[in-house]
Amino acid sequence: MTNGFEPKILYILCSWCGTGGAETASAHGLRYPENVRTYRVNCTGSLPAVHVLRALVEGADGVAVSGCHPGDCHYESGNYHARRRLANLKTILGTLGLGDDRLWFRFVAHGEGRRFVDTAAEFSDHITQMGPNPLTARRDT
Amino acid sequence: MNGAMVAAPGGVQQAITDLLRRGLDEKVLNAVLVPARVPAGDSFAWLLVRDSSVLEETQPLPPVMSVQGARAISRYARGGVSGKVAAVLRPCEVRATVELAKLRQVELDGLLLVSMDCPGALPLKTYLDDPQQGDADFEKLLSGDETVAREVCKTCHLFSRPVSDLHFATLGADNGQASIVAGSEQGRLLLDTLRIAEKSSLDAWERAVAERQEQRKQARTQAQAAFRQDIAGPDKLLETLSQCLNCHVCRSVCPICYCRQCYFESQALLMPPDNTLARARRKGGMRLPTDTLLFHLGRMAHMSLSCVSCGACEDACPSSIPVARMFSLVGDATQKQFDYTAGRSVTEPLPTITYKEDELSDLVAPYFETYSGRETAS
Ligand code: SF4
Ligand code: SF4
Ligand code: SF4
Repeated sequence: MTNGFEPKILYILCSWCGTGGAETASAHGLRYPENVRTYRVNCTGSLPAVHVLRALVEGADGVAVSGCHPGDCHYESGNYHARRRLANLKTILGTLGLGDDRLWFRFVAHGEGRRFVDTAAEFSDHITQMGPNPLTARRDT
Repeated sequence: MNGAMVAAPGGVQQAITDLLRRGLDEKVLNAVLVPARVPAGDSFAWLLVRDSSVLEETQPLPPVMSVQGARAISRYARGGVSGKVAAVLRPCEVRATVELAKLRQVELDGLLLVSMDCPGALPLKTYLDDPQQGDADFEKLLSGDETVAREVCKTCHLFSRPVSDLHFATLGADNGQASIVAGSEQGRLLLDTLRIAEKSSLDAWERAVAERQEQRKQARTQAQAAFRQDIAGPDKLLETLSQCLNCHVCRSVCPICYCRQCYFESQALLMPPDNTLARARRKGGMRLPTDTLLFHLGRMAHMSLSCVSCGACEDACPSSIPVARMFSLVGDATQKQFDYTAGRSVTEPLPTITYKEDELSDLVAPYFETYSGRETAS
């Protein structure tokens, strides 16, 4: 699936489950699209909202975030707080018509290598379909 | 429900001042925080009053909100006040104070919050341009002509009965009268101490408030839908912000933006020149100072859950950008998703410090089965 546009994707992973998913994928030789750049944070609960926004304003066509499943967070509740924070961000983007669909949140466990590469590929295809993020080309941001 | 009927021949201002005077004279109150006309006569400022004779200079319900009351309080009562101090606030100022208390920027113990049915406020700039005309406009506003009010006030549905200790009810009352409504044990105790009996019915007031609330809710929904049409989408939003000076005045006057070191004032966004050059290369050019849009979006991410839609930011913006309308549009949406209303209750936890294990299932991108897209090709 291409329309001649290869999106820039930022895939933010917590250093426990999300990154673990990527490690499991690599151990199994599973591959994900090269336009997806992974970015590791300690816990999705510690991911500053501004980092997500900055990516979406300054260069990324889409941002995906993966942390531990409910009940699995290394810090007990970081993933629950992250879910609230991302819901908040999506609401802000949606209310202002900036494309809340350019932001995805999905839980990925350490052992879920397949789910990790699937998410990367599915999100990349989804953003390809949406087309370029108009904000990133604006000089007046 | 009953309240204490008091005479207000000179309007509610007079009734509030009378109560404050008795409180100070009978030593039930240590001090009162109340707006007063500045000596030059052309604006208003907060005054912490200890001597009841100074109350003559004060105006508990000024035509404008030159400084948001919660901001005045947080500069004074962060570590708690000594004795009992009454603060006279508009309802949106009470709500901001409640948010600041939850954010541990105000200690409510010892503070007695006094509010009134709010007629709205005039745009600060219009008032400062011509204070005399402004005073005349405020008379109009007090008699119910809303056309002169600030945009946020025209659609304010939380204009009455915040979680204050004492509230002055004037809606639905006969001219020259007001009722004092005790909203807490503390408020009731003060009335008791001053031997003010709560004997009059509040039915007419409650009906009048409910009716106006309904009108305002509808007006708010309509105005927000129209406003969203005007500003939503990358093109329109950037057009709305195109005159923004990146001066951050909207942030510095916001009662909720209490951070002593704001992220957007910090070095965090000061990139090495090569980084900015790379951004300019990517887009063909780069507006400086950078990150105007990011400042607004980031501020929304940080505080829109506590935005009380008070309009202070919009009043202060030198470029007349509809900042408060933007923030309250977004704030209403972000608060709604957590069934939260900023300043509605002291005990309701801030949405950022709590969570439910089972919630927001719509937000999480569903994953049903193995995705058979592009990755299988490699
Ligand atoms: S927003 Fe306006 S009408 Fe509402 S409480 Fe504040 S000043 Fe009064
Ligand atoms: S963002 Fe504006 S409207 Fe909202 S609380 Fe701050 S100053 Fe008031
Ligand atoms: S919106 Fe107005 S007050 Fe805020 S930074 Fe821009 S110009 Fe300054």
